[in-house]
Amino acid sequence: MFSEILSLTLIEPVKGYRVELTAEEPQWSYRTVHDALTDGWQIVQFPHLQASFDDTDLDVIGYEFILQKMEVVYD
Amino acid sequence: MIDRVFLMTDAEVANFIVHGYHLVQPDLPEGLNERIATRLDTLESNPGDAITETVPELWQVLEHPAIRGVLVSLLGEDYQVNAHRHWHCKPPGSGYMHWHQDSTNNRDIRINRFLGLYYPRDVTADMGPTIIVPGTQFRNAPTDRMATYTNIRGQIPLVVKGGTVAFTHYDLWHGTSANRSDVKRHMIKFLFSRTHENVAPTWYHTPEALDGAIDWNQHDRAQDVRNILTFGNPLRVSQSDHYKERSIRWQAWRYLMGEKATEAVESE
Repeated sequence: MFSEILSLTLIEPVKGYRVELTAEEPQWSYRTVHDALTDGWQIVQFPHLQASFDDTDLDVIGYEFILQKMEVVYD
Repeated sequence: MIDRVFLMTDAEVANFIVHGYHLVQPDLPEGLNERIATRLDTLESNPGDAITETVPELWQVLEHPAIRGVLVSLLGEDYQVNAHRHWHCKPPGSGYMHWHQDSTNNRDIRINRFLGLYYPRDVTADMGPTIIVPGTQFRNAPTDRMATYTNIRGQIPLVVKGGTVAFTHYDLWHGTSANRSDVKRHMIKFLFSRTHENVAPTWYHTPEALDGAIDWNQHDRAQDVRNILTFGNPLRVSQSDHYKERSIRWQAWRYLMGEKATEAVESE
């Protein structure tokens, strides 16, 4: 919650919206998950903290939060 | 024997273990990169492994002492240029490629194979450069599990000068951005393999390389083997993951120093 974000994917529920890797330095609006919460985002899924665990091996970058923010958009 | 000036140093080998990549810009004959790029521009189909027959000048790159020096340093004098190689062309308008590791996901302390990515033409940020994530090479990550990641802190686009060869750990996470330029981005991927396990270091090793004490002030900026392997943290992960990385790195170092893989693991 208070750790620095390692990766962030922003998904807009808009037709044709795509995400992609960029060569430019990513500019994120939030440094931590908590920063996003203070800006109106809500947690819809916590990381699976009880997931299987290996004390010697490394795999994916875990502790993935899914957040949601509802906004009224006037086209 | 290769002149030691072309061999990697202890610090460079340690940095390769930690970061998973090493860039070299060999002093190639004038015009060679341009000739290769122009030839690639005209290819109408991908010859696959036969790219070196279609563009034989590529051997001049592989045989340059600065390239051989890296291969000898990490794989030994009798390294093998694998028969598999591939021309990756990103034409203008081509999209991005998501994060992946090549092959299956089996973390290994042995550095017995790795890639050499040769870029004959300058690669700018809008040309769809390869993007790597330093420090991910020891993380087993099925592609589907990485589908929710987009940009990752610390990722590096290989925006490089023409003629650069990027040596990358076989398991390093990588992808590309989209090519929004009007220029074809060419990359030839080569695979190199070890044929014999090391019995001694094959780089420019100095025995006192490990004499450096832990430097709690400079950390890996001290740029000696002990501090690079101990403190390097390109992904800036927290303690437990960092300790695991540290353990794996030392095993990899000991393996390159000539210990059998099982001994390198057991002596941890």
